[in-house]
Amino acid sequence: ISDSCMRRARGDGAEESPRQNGTAGRRRGEQRADSGDGDDAGGGLGPADMPEEDNDPGLRREIRSKYRDLINSVQQNREDMLSPSNNKLHEVLEEANKLFRDVRQAREAALDAQLLVVATDLGKEKASQLFVEGNAFDPSAFAEHLLSFMGLNRLEEGDEEQQHGGGVDGYLPQDAWHRVAERAERCFRTAPCFHYMMGSFHAEPPPPKQRIERQRKAPSKEVKRIMPTQLKKMEESQQEATEKEVERILGYLRATSPISYYEFVIDPKSFSRTVENIFHTSFLIRDGLARMYLDESKLPCIAPVEEGEVENGGLSSRKQCIISISLRSWRELIDALDISEPLIHPPTSQSVSQ
Amino acid sequence: MVVMLFDEGRSETLMGEEEDDDIPFTQPSTSQVQKGLEKLTPAQVDQKTAEVVQYFLMKDQKKIPVRRADLVKHVVKEYRNIYPEIMKRTARTFEQVFGLKLVEIDFKNHVYILINKLETLEGAPVRSPSNPKMGLLFVILSVIFMKGGAVKETLVWNTLKKLRVDPGEKHEEFGDVKRLVTDEFVRQRYLEYVRIPHTEPLEHEFRWGQRAELEVSKIKILEFMGELHDRDPQSWSQQYKEATTPSSSSQPSTSSQR
Repeated sequence: ISDSCMRRARGDGAEESPRQNGTAGRRRGEQRADSGDGDDAGGGLGPADMPEEDNDPGLRREIRSKYRDLINSVQQNREDMLSPSNNKLHEVLEEANKLFRDVRQAREAALDAQLLVVATDLGKEKASQLFVEGNAFDPSAFAEHLLSFMGLNRLEEGDEEQQHGGGVDGYLPQDAWHRVAERAERCFRTAPCFHYMMGSFHAEPPPPKQRIERQRKAPSKEVKRIMPTQLKKMEESQQEATEKEVERILGYLRATSPISYYEFVIDPKSFSRTVENIFHTSFLIRDGLARMYLDESKLPCIAPVEEGEVENGGLSSRKQCIISISLRSWRELIDALDISEPLIHPPTSQSVSQ
Repeated sequence: MVVMLFDEGRSETLMGEEEDDDIPFTQPSTSQVQKGLEKLTPAQVDQKTAEVVQYFLMKDQKKIPVRRADLVKHVVKEYRNIYPEIMKRTARTFEQVFGLKLVEIDFKNHVYILINKLETLEGAPVRSPSNPKMGLLFVILSVIFMKGGAVKETLVWNTLKKLRVDPGEKHEEFGDVKRLVTDEFVRQRYLEYVRIPHTEPLEHEFRWGQRAELEVSKIKILEFMGELHDRDPQSWSQQYKEATTPSSSSQPSTSSQR
């Protein structure tokens, strides 16, 4: 390639320039006369007339047309010319050399230059192919291997199914590109993306509570069968426990009434149970099942309310008071009232109280 | 060719980013920085550094590089007189706290990116769901590398078509493939998409972008190639040489050294 180029640069170029300059005026004239860039054989004088050759329009057109053909052939048959198996590019340049001998005007020279550019570009690409000859990399083979890696499910021959995404043959799984990405990311040193851990502020209101209730109702139907056996062992809720306690204490009260309040509630063996007794007793009073009063000694006493009297209680005779007790008072009361045994026996199941 | 490259990159970034700063920013001298620091409390400087760090982290989500002009205009502001000191501290924070590297990839236009200082370990579990776009990018980068560093766009499109990714059609996973490859990846500096002169019709060439040069390990690509083709990576002697030569030009200094 380089040889032909050198020849042209040295040889003909020097001869041509004066002539080209000289005919500049006439070239312009010729341009106006020309209708277009075609292959029309002009009615010009033959190539034998030496002095007329320079401005023979027919010859000029012929030369330009040949140049254009050469340029087109290089561009159209690019792949072919690139192949290392032939010398077509060299042939094109040889052809161009011959043409160049007849070039007289700037316009033709411009075409020649254009051809040279296209040819050298191709030449460069051809050279680069040679460069990696020993390290050939075939992108088609690469693609095939990669498809296998992606998990391409190659359909058997004769299979009628044309799955989505399967052009020629085979079906790519949904996560095909994820597989590649996972393997690929190992080759990258990408900075991990910054995210807020808990995500952004969620502007929607929480789902309505109705849903929760519905969900609760559903399982209860299923669990129904197991419930009875569990209930015997299961701990009763606090509310139920309290109610039971209160009832139990009412029983005691009815059995030993009327009685000094402190003698009733105090458990000399446990301060905490004393407090519990006071607590449970207060329910009796609240519900009007017991009443408290001060006796002659101004000591508090407690007595059950008769069955018939409960309704008569009414709001008018209701009073409220707050009772408190401390460890110290508890001990003093035990001493003063000489309480040795609790009147209200502690409940049999310890778990509720503790 | 090099000038064209930067111009293209610039016009791409300008399309999506804010306008240029009104007052052109010039790097203050060391003495100016010293004077500036004297007027501020350490807490103030720390606060501003923290703001810059946060800005970078947010911008890095999209992997779009950060321009110095934007940084000065929106974050540094009146602290611009101690800009080098802030950048020095920012780079140190990224390194020591996050294990990331702050790198200036464009010395002319002063553009920064964040990359990971640490390599991914071989057997390490995948922490987050993988991004399929990385798979696509990887294929393109591999082809470019194996073909010597620059390929015609037609080669890339043809290879992708074989993988059922057609730039002319909307892809299930990637959407507008052409835009993703020639716009997004280019803006992120993973790829360069350069016009080839004298081509009729107009053709482009793909090359590795500055981010790819810094983030992607060529030897690891070659190893994967070896696995796929069931070949010894060293059998590609030219590429192996390229992958194992410590490249001086593609590792620009961190901002702290400037």
